[in-house]
Amino acid sequence: MTSPRRLPIPPAVLVLALLTIVPHGPVWAARARSKPATSTATPAVAPAATPRAPSPPTAVEVRVERVRPPRERYATLRFLKENRDFLRSRFDRLRETPTGHEAAAAPIDPRFLMYQHLLADVRTATDSLTAAEESRKRQELFASVTDLGQLEAQLDLMDRLLNQQRGRLGILEQDFAGRQRTELSIVVSGVPAGVVVDSIAITLESGARLATAVSGAQREALGRGGVLQVFRGLVEPRQQIVEVSVLGGVGLSPASGFITLEPPRDHLTFLRLDLSPVQAPQGASSMTASTWTLDNELHASNGSEPGP
Amino acid sequence: MNHQGFGIVPRVPHLRGVNLVWVAALGLMLACAPRLSAREHPAFPASAGVAEAAAAAQVWAPDAFLVYLENDEDVDQTGAAERWGYLYFSPSLKQARGYSIRAGKILVADDLGMSFEAPPVSAQWIDSGAALAAAEENAGREFRTVHQGVLQTLLLARGAFHDDDPNLTTWTVIYSAPHAPSLFVMVDATDGKVRRTWRG
Repeated sequence: MTSPRRLPIPPAVLVLALLTIVPHGPVWAARARSKPATSTATPAVAPAATPRAPSPPTAVEVRVERVRPPRERYATLRFLKENRDFLRSRFDRLRETPTGHEAAAAPIDPRFLMYQHLLADVRTATDSLTAAEESRKRQELFASVTDLGQLEAQLDLMDRLLNQQRGRLGILEQDFAGRQRTELSIVVSGVPAGVVVDSIAITLESGARLATAVSGAQREALGRGGVLQVFRGLVEPRQQIVEVSVLGGVGLSPASGFITLEPPRDHLTFLRLDLSPVQAPQGASSMTASTWTLDNELHASNGSEPGP
Repeated sequence: MNHQGFGIVPRVPHLRGVNLVWVAALGLMLACAPRLSAREHPAFPASAGVAEAAAAAQVWAPDAFLVYLENDEDVDQTGAAERWGYLYFSPSLKQARGYSIRAGKILVADDLGMSFEAPPVSAQWIDSGAALAAAEENAGREFRTVHQGVLQTLLLARGAFHDDDPNLTTWTVIYSAPHAPSLFVMVDATDGKVRRTWRG
């Protein structure tokens, strides 16, 4: 098994204080009003009235299991495995014997060739705009009604060039900024009543175990409705079982909770662990969890839409 | 599954020697069970699962490339299967990892657990349907008819079976029969022509 590659993010632990300033959105506010607080007891470290961090409307509750869910086994690549020695010997022979042929080069991605054309178009458009601007300045000397028609044509030209530029930018944005890969972000919210959480341990499907210490300041932020990010990284787009343990004060069970989720391909999936309902004897299995997907597809403009 | 006389049979345990009472009981149970559709999951050609497998492989290792694929479930007469297995190799990790795709989802993701340094398959290759059609036309249909054979495996690899041109990416279609040596039909994955057939 391999360890996941973590993305270059700011600190491993990130308090999303932004969410604390929008705790009363129309949907979330209604949900908060309809759901009574899990406990009115004052937590040891949390403020008396613990605001609940809001969830997006698309969030779906997921079950936290006490034991790891069993997984059905499927046979795969049977011929390969049954004939592994034969196939390996064939491939070994390939490396030992020069073929006498040149390796076929992969075709160049046509987009890379297109970028040069895009740059050339940009330069051409700039020249066209400059020429149009100079022409416009000359035309200003002739303040006649007929000149206004030419001015309008030039403005149309500028609009067209602007639209084309927007289309080119859209292509670049789609290729570089809009290529979301399959990613998982695990965030934690809430503080359990009467229990001090010192750290949260996450074991991913790959077997990688990540332990995140929770400082006093972070606990306070959680108590005020903040959200703590404990993991963000690339994951395979398939069913995953995430094991979560909550470690802390005396009496808090280290028993794990197991959550099954299936991050869709090329999307950012959030998994939120709400620690508010955690009971010391049950540990992590008594928390609640929800998941949602960030749909951040960027749509490139083809330049055909009307200008501003 | 109904293969409409194509000769392809599912991989099921052999029932020879099993008590007829048990067979009858099993039949009764099946008759009483809720009717399932002919296929529980849609069959698809091999190329349709590559995007899903590649997305996962890129997460596993950015330099991973496809080196091998084969059917994980029985292939129908159009060259489609409910499940295909895709094997990726990473030069930086020197490991291979397989993904089994069904209905657009990754059902299995496993490290191969052995060294398998294979060359990448070519960027362009004909799909499983065209490869099977070429094999059937050449020798496969006759083999199935004469020897009561069945299609067993459809696999794509580069350089594994062609001595004269190891750079060639080929489909290898393997037929088996109860009382005859298996038939191997190697189809050029670029132009769909049968390059070689042999028994073994």
